[in-house]
Amino acid sequence: MLFFSFFKTLVDQEVTVELKNDIELKGTLKSVDQFLNLKLDNISCSDEVKYPHLSSVRNIFIRGSTVRYVYLDKNMVDTNLLQDAARREAIGSTKK
Amino acid sequence: MSFFGFETGFPGQNKGSKGDSRKKTGTHKSKGPDAAMDFEDTYRGFGGYEKEEDDYLNDETFGNTTEMGADFDFGYGRGELDAVGHTNAVNQQNINMNRSYASAAASTGPEASVSGYHDDGMDFTPMESLWTNQALAVPPQQYQQQHQVLSMEEIERLQQQQQSQHSQHGYVGGMPPPPPVGYGYPPQHFMPQAGYQGIPQGLHQGPSQGIPQGLPQGMPQGIPQGLPQGLPIPMPVSLPMPGLPQQYPEPPHVLQQQQPVAATQQSAQSSFLGPSASQSPDLSQLSATPPAQAPITKSPASSAPGIFPQVAKPVRSAPNSRGQIVGEQDSRESTPRGIRRGSVRKVQEALSPEEIKKLQVRQAKVDKILRHSGVMTPRDKDFITRYQLSQIVTDDPYNEDFYFQVYKIIQRGGIVGESNKGLIARAYLEHSGHRLGGRYKRADVALQRMQSQVEKAVTVAKERPHKSRENLDSAKEGVLGKISSVRNSKAPRRQLQIPLQKGDEEEIESSAIEDVVQSMNGVDLSSSSKARRRSSYAFRSVDQRAVLSRSGGRKFVLSLIETVYAEVLELEAQLRSGKETDSTALWEALHIADDAYEVSPFISILSFDKGVKIMPRIFNFLNKEQKLKLLYCFFSELSHLNIIVTSSYKTNPDPTDTQLKKLELFQSVFLKIIVSFLSSSAEFVEVLGLLLALVKNNNVSFISTSKIGLNLITVLISRAALIKQDVSRGNVLSSMEASSWNEIYDKLFTSLETKLAIVFPPDEYTSKVVAASTTGTLTSATTGQSVKHQFYDQSYIWQFLASLALSGKLNHQRVIIDEIREEIFGTISRAEQLVSSSPTEEQQIALYQRDKLYQDLNLFLNVMGLVARDGEISELK
Repeated sequence: MLFFSFFKTLVDQEVTVELKNDIELKGTLKSVDQFLNLKLDNISCSDEVKYPHLSSVRNIFIRGSTVRYVYLDKNMVDTNLLQDAARREAIGSTKK
Repeated sequence: MSFFGFETGFPGQNKGSKGDSRKKTGTHKSKGPDAAMDFEDTYRGFGGYEKEEDDYLNDETFGNTTEMGADFDFGYGRGELDAVGHTNAVNQQNINMNRSYASAAASTGPEASVSGYHDDGMDFTPMESLWTNQALAVPPQQYQQQHQVLSMEEIERLQQQQQSQHSQHGYVGGMPPPPPVGYGYPPQHFMPQAGYQGIPQGLHQGPSQGIPQGLPQGMPQGIPQGLPQGLPIPMPVSLPMPGLPQQYPEPPHVLQQQQPVAATQQSAQSSFLGPSASQSPDLSQLSATPPAQAPITKSPASSAPGIFPQVAKPVRSAPNSRGQIVGEQDSRESTPRGIRRGSVRKVQEALSPEEIKKLQVRQAKVDKILRHSGVMTPRDKDFITRYQLSQIVTDDPYNEDFYFQVYKIIQRGGIVGESNKGLIARAYLEHSGHRLGGRYKRADVALQRMQSQVEKAVTVAKERPHKSRENLDSAKEGVLGKISSVRNSKAPRRQLQIPLQKGDEEEIESSAIEDVVQSMNGVDLSSSSKARRRSSYAFRSVDQRAVLSRSGGRKFVLSLIETVYAEVLELEAQLRSGKETDSTALWEALHIADDAYEVSPFISILSFDKGVKIMPRIFNFLNKEQKLKLLYCFFSELSHLNIIVTSSYKTNPDPTDTQLKKLELFQSVFLKIIVSFLSSSAEFVEVLGLLLALVKNNNVSFISTSKIGLNLITVLISRAALIKQDVSRGNVLSSMEASSWNEIYDKLFTSLETKLAIVFPPDEYTSKVVAASTTGTLTSATTGQSVKHQFYDQSYIWQFLASLALSGKLNHQRVIIDEIREEIFGTISRAEQLVSSSPTEEQQIALYQRDKLYQDLNLFLNVMGLVARDGEISELK
């Protein structure tokens, strides 16, 4: 649940999603679920020339398994908190 | 043989489904369609078929010729659209396509009750054609014929009813026919009606409105449930009871289809009518005839692909029902039953071809929308929603959703905003499209409903682990796809399998060492710590690895840090939930009082950044005594501290950017804690104790060559001096305290005497620090505005000298000045040189830097009543 929890904090923030087919989409994250499926709004494709079909798309639902990277702004992440959360997750999983 | 957990078998095959369907209808009747859906009512035990031993029936349902992985169309057939588009193109597959899973399923409900009416020996042949593209097994005529015969009286009665009561259309259209009928029952009898009727008649959707209520709920009936929800038309008054009156509503279909035919005798329909007319009188034969044999009376069949060749004939005639609707409009016009379809046709008749085409396009769209509508009931949707929600909600948000929860609190500045569940409910409403509140535009109600769904989902989530333990999760398997108990969103598949380290092993090892130490030193721990002190004095611990190995090894220290983190997180969780915190385990984890190692593991913890970072949080949970012990340990083994080694110009003449960053971190984190502890809660004696620990156990002159070391000494002696002043203002220091202070100061001074000049790092070192920090991002080690003019900040040295001089007597001060005389004058000359040598445009910077140099120097000189100004030292006035 760590990454789900993490991505939830990015809702309404602008992120860039790189898909496994190399398409890069920049947009506002609208929602995320436990599979890390993403819903982006106001998207823009970084390579409009190569993927012209995306130029008229405004919002998009991305299946989580097709995502390669999500690029974030540095200050969107509280790294110390993330470390804590990761440790808690690890503790939780070892206890069970 | 289960779809979405529903038994698709017929009652004759599986008694379970019979019971289920009845049960469902029962619950529905009692609750009403708008009552809140209760999970337990609807789905208890549903889909909980443990064994699928009826698998062999799949052949009958799906056909044994069906290829693996074939896509079954459960929706409102795709062919429907084609039929509308090409009105007269009678497609063989139409009949198959027209048949929807939903409508077929609908027929299973009433089947139970009606089967008794017909011959019990009726062979129920599964609807293979439902799933496959093969021709229909049972001709539609059969159904029509039967009904014509069956219900002539009723037809008439219903005719009257229908005319008098318009709303009856609803259930008339929606009522599923008796079982044998179900096979040949073309779905468009009710499914398309909603669309058909709705469009030309200005969305008069009476029929579709009535449908959902009239049907047994809980089955995936083909009623467009989603559609009618938003419609304002009230339910028909005379609701057909699910079990009993099914035969009543049926006739209208028959009438619709047959009577116009009989009346008009159109050539196009003659083939359709022929067999039906001939067969109609013989009811008993029909009901007794197994569907496979039904086509016997049919006219010779043209060959059709599929396992039932006889099917060809019905297939051809069947499309009439659909194809004629649009294309052969006039054929049924005269029928009194034209109210439903006829009305559509009448409207269409007056339209121009373009308009008709437009209508057809629109029709196609509506059909597309309706294609899968009604496959799931609202109850099904609720169930799915709840199940989905149960994956992402938790009843323990601080544990399982830690990052989000804490992050939000930090973002909002400590105010807990909308609850997590509320947010989830809101987000899900957006998804479902019900956020506007549906029929009554009650958005608040919709939100409340969704919130209650979330609440229920939490319950489901709570129960989940329990269920999986009893291996009941398999019951849900197939309901919502495969459910893996080992892998889920909370425990995804791992790309890397890291074997869990054996914590026990470490424990044994350390306790073994302890045993050895104990046996060697006896129970006298002080002697062992003495041994440690000696060694710490002797070694400068330049080699970090050596230090680590002497405190248990790098891995041990790292695991120790993690243990400490775990303890702190646990304590913080306890604190949040308002429980009493017990820091014993944390204290144990710090290994401060542990003499088993040559160098305390605690000192080694501090050589890692994360170890330093956790310190403030550790301090939150320690009591004063523990804090003192910790600091005592810290000052005693200062020489081993990695940060001292790296910040000393003697042991580390080439500081790197990363090392300087570490230094910065240590200063901003740990030094801060020490200062705040000393200034807020430490007693004079305690400060003395710490200073004594420092002086006694360490090579002070070495420590003084490092910036951090010098900082630490400065903190201690200036704090002691401050308390002394404070105390002397109030109650006088006890003679013992005063004498011990003097004694300790003497000790410190002696260790520094003759080596005071070495606190100043050589020029090459300072220039390296400046260079390293210029390339990096550090600024505190240097001062000055432009990169070009950065130089080493020596203020910490002057602060140290100042505090040392402040606490010392006159002879101490004299010694200090003697020793660092060169540095004093060097600083003055450098300050003067700066101004004279720098170009005019940089004069401002030079002046600032000169002032800074004087300022630092005067920190020290002022203590002795002196002041340096404009290249000269004069007495402070």
